[in-house]
Amino acid sequence: MIRRLLLAVSLALVVLVAPAGCSGWLARTEGLDVSTLPESVRPDYAVFAQRCSKCHSLARPLTSGIDEDDYWVMYVAKMRRQPESGISPEDTVVILRFLHYFSLEQKKKKEGHGDSTPPAASPSTSASASPSPVSLGATSDRVL
Amino acid sequence: MRAWGFALALALAVVLAIARPARAIERTFAGSAQLDYLFVPSAKDFNANQGTNGTFDGFTLEATLKLAVDLTDHLSANVKVCYGCHGFEADMVYFDLRAYDELNFRIGRFSPAFGAFNLRHDPANQKLSDKPLPYDMGRMLRNLDWNAGVIPAPFPDNGVEIDGTHWFGESGQLDYAVYGIAGFRATGPNVTDFNFPLSREPFYVDNNARPTGGARLALTLKPSKVSDVSLGASGMAGTYDDENKLLYAILGGDFSVRVNRTNFRTEYLLRRTAFDTTDPAIFKYAIAPTQGNYFMKHGAYVELEQPLARDFDVVARVDALARIGNVPAGIADLSYRSEMVRETLGFAYAVERNLRLKTSGEYYQFSDRDADGHMYGVAIHAGVAGTF
Repeated sequence: MIRRLLLAVSLALVVLVAPAGCSGWLARTEGLDVSTLPESVRPDYAVFAQRCSKCHSLARPLTSGIDEDDYWVMYVAKMRRQPESGISPEDTVVILRFLHYFSLEQKKKKEGHGDSTPPAASPSTSASASPSPVSLGATSDRVL
Repeated sequence: MRAWGFALALALAVVLAIARPARAIERTFAGSAQLDYLFVPSAKDFNANQGTNGTFDGFTLEATLKLAVDLTDHLSANVKVCYGCHGFEADMVYFDLRAYDELNFRIGRFSPAFGAFNLRHDPANQKLSDKPLPYDMGRMLRNLDWNAGVIPAPFPDNGVEIDGTHWFGESGQLDYAVYGIAGFRATGPNVTDFNFPLSREPFYVDNNARPTGGARLALTLKPSKVSDVSLGASGMAGTYDDENKLLYAILGGDFSVRVNRTNFRTEYLLRRTAFDTTDPAIFKYAIAPTQGNYFMKHGAYVELEQPLARDFDVVARVDALARIGNVPAGIADLSYRSEMVRETLGFAYAVERNLRLKTSGEYYQFSDRDADGHMYGVAIHAGVAGTF
């Protein structure tokens, strides 16, 4: 009896929540809409989405405000070292390639060019996967 | 002890010496909050926060603020403040000094590596509002009689941890951690179990001089690009009384599989806790002549997390606790061998990128009757969790 009641309550909640998901004001989701990404970026995003959602929501990196490759290199390395992260050295390269693309998109939006053609992923970023030099003692504040 | 301290200091000095100077100081600020309402319709007068139940029903808020500062390529500082059921607490205040991926020194106040759930104990990183029973900290039914689960998560404590990770090619990751911390506590005469509030209330000073030691080993394999399998084992042992006589040992094993966004997780925990038998009158049963000076507490859960749509997940969990051994007199809901099983069905929906709705229903079954003669309980959660 109790189990049936719980099942009924759960199903009722599904029915209540589902229409909200179909309405316009709840259109923004935790991850990105793959159909809006260039074909060349989609495989990289798939690795990013798979590996970076194991321990936390994709909202963490996607709304972090970070748009510097150097910072991403450091942070993805930090995540790779987390216990049971499942982020291999090869994954790091792919994830950084996607984040490079995403950062460029974010910068464009900040500059008011949000509707421009998305840039292709940068092979140079993917190849090196290492931080570019920044000035000693420089300080930056970010949210992640 | 002095030699051990000297060796540690020497190791730290060597690592500091090889650390490169800072290329930039990076600061990361993050946080999360979860507001959850717990309703227990099966409780007398719909109030589970009375009598021996002591369940935190009604509204609870769990919020965290974290600041991470990367001082050099090898040295970082982390501070995390939590606001929860017992006010503000320092959940993390530590330095990480990393020589290599395989060698990191963590020094300060942190939650030591134990079990797989510890990695995702932040409510924003879970799809359910509630922790698994082995890690429960007060929201389970009959909380006071059972004295929570096996080990709380998080369990912030003062100490030192040496940990690291190593990748074997692209398909295997091995993690280890070894630590010494203050450990669990209980003070005064006739001690029968941990006093969890002593671990979180000022002052943060150990009641005995002997550290608790522990270790964890975990292996993660990646059979494909969209899957991984993790297997882990954890152990912790120490004394918890003022006189260093009462020993406890906690063991845990965990296994998880992730394929695309589907997660299957299971853990088993076991705690052996010795108690003071100098006054047999304080116990419900006669002290057994052999092996009558401890109790065993088992905890386990099996959990399946399955996306139903892009931002809509369903979670099914079965978790259980068992306590075997003598019981302090006056605890009505426990016998020499007591068990509880809980079945949970829950849903999580991301209404915005940083905001998730959660709801779940829980059905409890107990081996012992409560004061009203009940052997079951029902609880319903409705919550909102956000991150930034």
